[in-house]
Amino acid sequence: MRKTYRYRDLDFPVDDATEVKLTVEFLSDGGIAETLIYRSIGNNPKISDSGTELIGTGAELRGKITICITEATNSNLNEDEIRVRYLLNDTLMVEHHNLKSEEINPTIILFLKFPMP
Amino acid sequence: MSSFKLFVLLFPSIFLAQEPLAQLTTPTSPAAALLDLNPTVTLAPKSYQALETALYSNFVNSNNETVIPTDFALEFTPYWTKNHGLSITEYLYPENLGTQLLRSSSVSIASTQNFVLGDSTSTNALGIGYRASFFFPNKKDKAIVEKSIGEIRNDFNLKNEIRAPAILFLEINPEASKADFLKEIMPTVISEINKSKHFSDPEELQKFLNKFEAELLALPEITPATKDAFLDQFSQILDQEYQTYRLISNFEEYLTRRQGLTLDIGLATLLNFPDNTFEFSYVPKSSLWITPSYRFTNNFDFLKALGVFRYEWYHDTYYDRYFPDTFVFKNNLDYGISIISEFKRFSLQFELIGRHSSSEISIATDDFGNDLFRKETKSDLQYTGNFSYNVTDGIILTYTLGSRFKTIFEPKNTLISLLALNFGFGAPTTNDIALNKK
Repeated sequence: MRKTYRYRDLDFPVDDATEVKLTVEFLSDGGIAETLIYRSIGNNPKISDSGTELIGTGAELRGKITICITEATNSNLNEDEIRVRYLLNDTLMVEHHNLKSEEINPTIILFLKFPMP
Repeated sequence: MSSFKLFVLLFPSIFLAQEPLAQLTTPTSPAAALLDLNPTVTLAPKSYQALETALYSNFVNSNNETVIPTDFALEFTPYWTKNHGLSITEYLYPENLGTQLLRSSSVSIASTQNFVLGDSTSTNALGIGYRASFFFPNKKDKAIVEKSIGEIRNDFNLKNEIRAPAILFLEINPEASKADFLKEIMPTVISEINKSKHFSDPEELQKFLNKFEAELLALPEITPATKDAFLDQFSQILDQEYQTYRLISNFEEYLTRRQGLTLDIGLATLLNFPDNTFEFSYVPKSSLWITPSYRFTNNFDFLKALGVFRYEWYHDTYYDRYFPDTFVFKNNLDYGISIISEFKRFSLQFELIGRHSSSEISIATDDFGNDLFRKETKSDLQYTGNFSYNVTDGIILTYTLGSRFKTIFEPKNTLISLLALNFGFGAPTTNDIALNKK
């Protein structure tokens, strides 16, 4: 069975009016990844490999769980790990790392909450 | 006890704690080649490991006793020891030759304690080498790569679109039953699979959906404590149909056999310590390799043809002093071809190389005190075959048999019969684990 890496209880305090941007940054070389930022309100942004997407304002995200799910692999024959950072408004939330020998096709799931500061 | 078993006993951790690594190729570092540790002339393209070592020995001495090898080679590719955040396209298609040079540059060092001089003295010698590789993909390569990456991305997107609402549903409704879950999720599953056009036949789609639902119903009932395990099972059922790992493994396999032209260049120089002291050394010879290679396509993709051009320069003063009874040609040009056929775990290589040697020999001095020279030339032939077997993905065993060029010290001794072991180590990793990882 493929491994799923879950990162729970990730709180990012934010004001109602502040826009939140989520950044996926692959540090390992030559990865292939698709990330979906899923909220129950619809209009779910996607990021291919690395990139940044606006996911909503504090008010829109408040009181709900936002799921950030990444399916990744790395076909670089010179690389032996999968390493990826997740940032919210440039603040590091998670740096995921796994050896390719442990899982070549991991699923990484972040459970994000946006309380009042 | 066989030599190989002895090696396993000497270095058990290498065999017991192996992580799967990208497959190695036959050891051919420039430094080792210059020391004649590796008898083939072809400088085959380097493998993908950041660090490689090779031990060259038949593992037995003249009394048929097993021995620890005294000759070794090490090759190091600095670029791949750290991350650069390259995308798959940036990795596969470097924007210019300078980038390729930077990424493929490797430094090798080889050492032997058995560099025998003309008076039979064993001395220490060191080979120092450098090589770089340039790859020129053909149009077919780009089409294959684009298609493979596209298929992997489509699968990833489909799985995300199905899994994300399933995860969120159970996060919001931890007390939900299997029936609630199915009622919520099946419309998404149907809609996303329809969008993916994975099934061209509606009957097949319905058959899959029935099977998918039946397998989900057969899982244990969901509880707040088991919801993650349930979701993992849910993903596994999806993975059984959308076998992305096959796409990934096919793509990786293709990357080891990319279609196009590769050009390898190598330089190496030999350092000899004739009286085994560090303060006194000579540079007896240096070599330059240019190796173009081409991977055949379609039904012959297991075949690779390599051209060989090697120029070797010998320091004649050194050889006059330490090999007084021999004659060494100053300039040697080797040229020929090599064919490699690679199969799952083993490969065969045949090599046929010609050599043209030339030297200017001082014969007299004219009336004005100027040296007069005569040009001496010679031709020679080397042919070898070698068999390589990947013991594991990180260890390769190679046996070479053939006839080499006439050596300086023992021109009649042209037999090559050599066993070599090559080890590959991936780039070092810092095992910093994220604090939130659960």
